[in-house]
Amino acid sequence: MKEQRTAWLLVAPALGSILLIAMFPLGWTIWESLHQHDLRMPWLGRPFVGLSNYATVAGDARFWGAIGHTAFFAFASILLELALGLVLALAMNRTFRGRGVVRAAVLLPWAIPTVVAALLSRFMFESPWGVVDVLLTRAGLVDKPVVWLAGAQIAWVPLILADVWKTTPFVALLLLAGLQNIDRELYEAASIDGASAWWQLRRITLPLLKPAIVVALIFRTLDAFRVFDLVYVLTGGGPGTSTEPIALYTFNTLLQNLEFGYGAALSVVVFAATFGLAMVYIRWVGGVAPGEAAAR
Amino acid sequence: MPLDFLYVLRHATSMLRRAAIVGAAALTACASSEPKGYVTVTLAGSALGAEGTVVTTQAARFEQLNPGVHVVIQRTPDDASQRHQLFVQWLNAHVGQPDILQIDVVWTPEFAAAGWILPLTRWHPDVSDLFPGVVAGDRWAGTLYALPWWTDIGMLYWRTDLLQHAPTSMHAMADALRRAHAVGTPRDGLVWQGARYEGLVTVFVEFLGAFGGAIMDDSGRVVVDAPQSIAALTFMRDLLRDGLVPRDAMTWHEEESRFAFQNGDALLMRNWPYAYALMSDTSASKIAGHFAAAPMPGGPGGSPTATLGGQQLAINALSPHPDAAYRLIAYLTAPAQMLERARIAGTLPPRKSLYDQPALDSALPMGVAVARAVLEHATPRPVTPIYSQLSDLLQVQLHRALTGQAEPSRALRVAAAQMNALVDRTHVRELAHGRDSAAAAASR
Repeated sequence: MKEQRTAWLLVAPALGSILLIAMFPLGWTIWESLHQHDLRMPWLGRPFVGLSNYATVAGDARFWGAIGHTAFFAFASILLELALGLVLALAMNRTFRGRGVVRAAVLLPWAIPTVVAALLSRFMFESPWGVVDVLLTRAGLVDKPVVWLAGAQIAWVPLILADVWKTTPFVALLLLAGLQNIDRELYEAASIDGASAWWQLRRITLPLLKPAIVVALIFRTLDAFRVFDLVYVLTGGGPGTSTEPIALYTFNTLLQNLEFGYGAALSVVVFAATFGLAMVYIRWVGGVAPGEAAAR
Repeated sequence: MPLDFLYVLRHATSMLRRAAIVGAAALTACASSEPKGYVTVTLAGSALGAEGTVVTTQAARFEQLNPGVHVVIQRTPDDASQRHQLFVQWLNAHVGQPDILQIDVVWTPEFAAAGWILPLTRWHPDVSDLFPGVVAGDRWAGTLYALPWWTDIGMLYWRTDLLQHAPTSMHAMADALRRAHAVGTPRDGLVWQGARYEGLVTVFVEFLGAFGGAIMDDSGRVVVDAPQSIAALTFMRDLLRDGLVPRDAMTWHEEESRFAFQNGDALLMRNWPYAYALMSDTSASKIAGHFAAAPMPGGPGGSPTATLGGQQLAINALSPHPDAAYRLIAYLTAPAQMLERARIAGTLPPRKSLYDQPALDSALPMGVAVARAVLEHATPRPVTPIYSQLSDLLQVQLHRALTGQAEPSRALRVAAAQMNALVDRTHVRELAHGRDSAAAAASR
């Protein structure tokens, strides 16, 4: 009995800090989301409005648009990153001269802060004087410069390319770690049995790489779901709001328009969605590779 | 990573707010320990480059003339929306410093309605020499809350080597653009500020005025979906569709359009007066000496319109030294200081009498005649405490229509519906008759 009390006493500071740092802001945000609170309209006061902010979220076309943009961005960028990352990882996993240099070089984009990477892409895709347009026109691939950032569909191209350029190295690194865990003897045995390289990739590499792929998928999905700085710098969510992801919409509501009540409601919804997604993934990983994911 | 950035931002702002409270407390403590009669007045505003030089020089002179008053110039972000955000957070935290705020012309009603800035009536400022359009924006519910420091005005820059005269109507402008487009030089026709930000609304207001439309009527209803407004936006959309305005311009701010124009790539440019001096610099500009400025064309259905911008000075409602603060404002907005400011920083003074003085003519790069011709058409944006929020809703729909995602009529109907819903929800129309009736309406 006494021992138990000591145990509680010992973990109390840790529990206290978690409560203070994680739970208190979360609780406060949820409480705030039940109020109408607009910093710029003090004459309206801060009335308790129950769930009405959430009702507004449900009927907010810009919110659903933002959810759609986020999902599309996540899907398209992750698909490309996994495919390219796998190719890079397979290449880096071979033994060749200068492998260390290549591995370091591949990681370079990942080391650049996202805001800087986004600015670089903005300069490259700015028409008509951006380097992309200049190269495309010189090569004769297009008659006149493509207007990348002012088209509702085409604006996705620089956004997704910038994300792929920056994040593929990260995916490649995770996959490379997975590749190095695969027993080389399996390949030797397969070769002796006359299995082709393609067969080896499909039947040995990919199945054994699955845990690493899942881990990469989790990291990337959660990151892509919260994408903010890249879009903020590159398109500002435009043209109109056609590339605005949910994090940028929340930012605009909360910090640009200073609508704290409604912004809090948006934040809670985003939190719930990310949390739910993480839960699904964690269960999935647990099912796929017990112990494997924890080791990484 | 994305969320970290947001998190840091959120934290930084809350830390800033706390730092501001502590800082203000410290400053107040200083003030009370100062010798009797010695006060510190803080002015927060943009103090970059030449502007910074002027305000520091003038503040030093003010200190000499007013022994016992110490002036501190507090630099705030140059970007208007960032400064706005910062001010709102400070004022929400009830800090008494800065005493004086440099605010954009469209923020005055917002800050006044919130009770954040002091009415200036107790000092009986003389506004008879100031442009009435500017002063109208400094009043809220009939009371004067700020004094104009300098004026900004939207104007049309045109190439004197390619055109005989400035276009006199919207259709004449489209014809001139079409002729240049047929020849193929310069590369672009008209360039403007088309990115989704306040600049887009200032451009739209000028087209709106030319077609006889308006954003808001006198009773405070949003009427941006009226036929004239739809005609104005359709005209803008058609300029883009026909290649007379480059589609790139829908991502441009002031500087991108200036670069295009000063490189000789555009026939016409809509921009603010600041560009005049920069484009006259032969070392950077290819068109120095080959351009002039004029009012944006008017008609059909309306008249030439120049969106009014500019910076005002107002007093923090919690300032411990409002009298000293007002003395500084009166000094900075006096004719001599405005003239000096025009000479050094190239800003337009909002005083009518100065435009008769030869000193101003030589101080302004564009000359007094052009400035006066444009100022004659000065049109304020809607004077309402929720202007920024209304503008935000409008920006999205304008940008959608001009980038081909929605028909102008549909976009403007959506904008008007959203904007009117906000007007109703926030009871601003009652607020114009005083805080009490708005509070009553809000509690109903």
